[in-house]
Amino acid sequence: MSICQDLGLNFQQRMGANISQLERDIGSEQFPPNEHYFGLVNFGNTCYSNSVLQALYFCRPFREKVLEYKAKNKRTKETLLTCLADLFYSIATQKKKVGSIAPKKFIARLRKEKEEFDNYMQQDAHEFLNFLINHINEIILAERNQSTLKIQKTDGNKEGVTCNGTIPQNTEPTWVHEIFQGTLTSETRCLNCETVSSKDEHFFDLQVDVDQNTSITHCLKCFSDTETLCNDNKFKCDNCSSYQEAQKRMRVKKLPLILALHLKRFKYMEQYNRHIKVSHRVVFPLELRLFNTSDDAVNPDRLYDLVAVVVHCGSGPNRGHYISIVKSHGFWLLFDDDMVDKIDASAIEDFYGLTSDIQKSSETGYILFYQSRDASC
Amino acid sequence: MAVQSDSGGKDDVKTQFVTREGTYRLMTLSEYSRPNRVGYTSGSGSTHVRVSLVTLPPGPGGGAPGSDGQGSDDRICFNHGKELYVYVYRGVKKAADLTKPVDKKMYKGTNPTCHDFNTVTMTSDSVSLVIGFSTGQIQLIDPIKKELSKLYNEERLIDKTRVTCIKWVPGSSNLFISAHASGQLYVYNEELTCGTTSPHYQLFKQGEGYSIHTCRTKSTRNPLYRWVIGSEGSCINEFAFSPCGTNLAVVSQDGFLRVFHYDTMELVGRARSYFGGFLCVCWAPDGRYVVVGGEDDLVTVWSLGERRVVARGQGHRSWVSVVAFDPYVAALAEPEREPGEATQCYRLGSVSQDTQLCLWDLTADVLRPPARARASAHLSPNGAPRGAGSPPAPAARPAPAPAAPPAPARVKDEGSGSLSAHFTQRLAGFSFGERRSEHRRNFSLARPAERRDCDPLRLIGTPACPRFDECPVLEPLVCKKVAHERLTALLFRAECLVTACADGCVNTWARPARAHATDTRRRDRERERDRLDLVD
Repeated sequence: MSICQDLGLNFQQRMGANISQLERDIGSEQFPPNEHYFGLVNFGNTCYSNSVLQALYFCRPFREKVLEYKAKNKRTKETLLTCLADLFYSIATQKKKVGSIAPKKFIARLRKEKEEFDNYMQQDAHEFLNFLINHINEIILAERNQSTLKIQKTDGNKEGVTCNGTIPQNTEPTWVHEIFQGTLTSETRCLNCETVSSKDEHFFDLQVDVDQNTSITHCLKCFSDTETLCNDNKFKCDNCSSYQEAQKRMRVKKLPLILALHLKRFKYMEQYNRHIKVSHRVVFPLELRLFNTSDDAVNPDRLYDLVAVVVHCGSGPNRGHYISIVKSHGFWLLFDDDMVDKIDASAIEDFYGLTSDIQKSSETGYILFYQSRDASC
Repeated sequence: MAVQSDSGGKDDVKTQFVTREGTYRLMTLSEYSRPNRVGYTSGSGSTHVRVSLVTLPPGPGGGAPGSDGQGSDDRICFNHGKELYVYVYRGVKKAADLTKPVDKKMYKGTNPTCHDFNTVTMTSDSVSLVIGFSTGQIQLIDPIKKELSKLYNEERLIDKTRVTCIKWVPGSSNLFISAHASGQLYVYNEELTCGTTSPHYQLFKQGEGYSIHTCRTKSTRNPLYRWVIGSEGSCINEFAFSPCGTNLAVVSQDGFLRVFHYDTMELVGRARSYFGGFLCVCWAPDGRYVVVGGEDDLVTVWSLGERRVVARGQGHRSWVSVVAFDPYVAALAEPEREPGEATQCYRLGSVSQDTQLCLWDLTADVLRPPARARASAHLSPNGAPRGAGSPPAPAARPAPAPAAPPAPARVKDEGSGSLSAHFTQRLAGFSFGERRSEHRRNFSLARPAERRDCDPLRLIGTPACPRFDECPVLEPLVCKKVAHERLTALLFRAECLVTACADGCVNTWARPARAHATDTRRRDRERERDRLDLVD
């Protein structure tokens, strides 16, 4: 069923032709120094991973932290993070400007780490991103814990042992937190006693519903629309000490450095008993501010720039293909597994989606990465 | 395709909507499109369907000459994909006759993107139509006489990028301006050639965020001027001359509205989008306000007199593709008010990629700086009542100063080009900016030499781009889904409004039955009677 490209036999020739083309397109004077554009070889339906890795590589704060990790952590035991660091390092230190690389070790490790990815099926790029970010964060926390444990052990402090089972919650944020983590505040107003209670929760990305002929701005506003909790879904009001009808809305309280937006394009349809792709046209500007911030938000008018988009091509979650478009040094590149092409910024509109529902297959923006301008490095 | 009930079309396409004035109705027979419409035209690339309308002067015989003798002096031009059509436009009176276009063109390898009729040189049986193309060329034709056909930038030596907007210079028989995706504006004289080589430019004038060049040649050639606007290579999306022709407003993909004094080429003022590019621009009929729409899904109102963003309209669900003032409703918006006061109200329309049409009322309480004394409200020396049918005449020169001096906003007329510096200084020092910081900024903007950063991170919180909660947010009066496809054009006419969408359909909406017009007429009559009574 999969139309995902396998590692083509003729890929060597194709690669050769495209590479010189890319360098020609960019021009030797324009080619940014210390930048490398390397495609990633597909090991059979691993485009979900390739597209996300390319997008992350071009999220500069993330790339820098991963390379920093690589520099600091010599000879540790292999984790998904060390594999990722090796991969990024290998791209960043290539002699050639362009080419392709096989993320063999990373994929092998990924398959060991998580059963769901241990096959040759197409996976959901967002699930992969979610897993990767969380997993990396856990690795950093665990390593940090271990080192504090060591220190504590040398101090002869027994308390450290009791901490072992439960990760201390008051730890400093990791660099993954610093880059991707934002805070949502959910405000609930009990319709009986009118008391407003609010609760904060952290996120690494926001998952938004898509509507036909809208903008990502509108989808984000809908995300923060007031919802009424009633019937089976009543709210347990502490003040009333009972379940009550309530109004709830979620707004962004802390805006992350990199705002990852997941467009929920795979919708479960009961009549088909499977997920169907929603190809609605959702435009996304190159620059973004949020309208759905809470009143006590720290930096509500943070200005974001679009830096990368993971694009899904095809008709369903378990079929089709993933590619990514990224912005690097002022121009846009399209990464399609091992192939890299320079594209015009105006070509981005090809990935907004379709205004007609007749065609089921489409090439649509699926995960958007917006980077705060004040983070530019 | 229209039959299909897709999930996106939960709310059906409306064929009528109601405002305070009454009901607007879609005239289904007045739909203009290509003669043989095919059901679905996807993948045609260009979706920039634009509409130009012109009213020709009556012929010597009195009746409308030319094509059909149906008695309409209006011509409509629109482009769709590779095609361009000119029809007799019959408005709401009669059904469209699609079988007999005045002219039709089909282009190869390029798409028409924008066009404009010359209203200075037109006669009852001839009109110049200038057309811009996706590959940068420009064509001049006479769709009625069909004798004329000239090409500019034919070899693409001047600019290779898409023409995004093309317009005749107001009042000029031979000058037109084209804006390009490359971020440049060119002034052409239709009588001059473009030369056989790439033009060599020399700097003519420079200001903050723009520079103007002329061609360095022995004999005068096209382009007469090249304006380079905004950050490098950021597409100019639209430009518009103020009603009196003095000022030129330009909106770009870099998120800026820039207003220039056209003759002196000075930057008069600017605004920054909340985020993303500005896509469209329009002047208020009296030239006091500029309204822009863009990728922030907002309609932004900027005051020329105060050099600040005065309001934002939030209601669209996607990018705003066209904004337009409705000069015919403006004076009627709040009928109870005194005539002097009523001119402070504006009716505004916008269409968007969300397939919706929004109408907005800009009322005096929004436009007036909050802390300002209402002294001016009492003063209404211009007793001339504004009828429903007559659009406010564009003032060509400064309005005569009213007896009472403390009303600079009123005195300040957009047409007062030569006086603007003087007035602005006075304005700045006078009353605007209830907060001290704003006051200072206004003042500094009036100085041309002032150097200011284009960094949006610095502009946020300034009059050019207030924070979202620092600026009044308007809600639309009406917000209706009126098409299946993205809307790309909106024009207000005396008896109707015209919309167009990406699938190439141009629709006409009849205004409410004459209720209001008769109303005002009645009021006028009453006023006249009162006056007579006084005479008695």
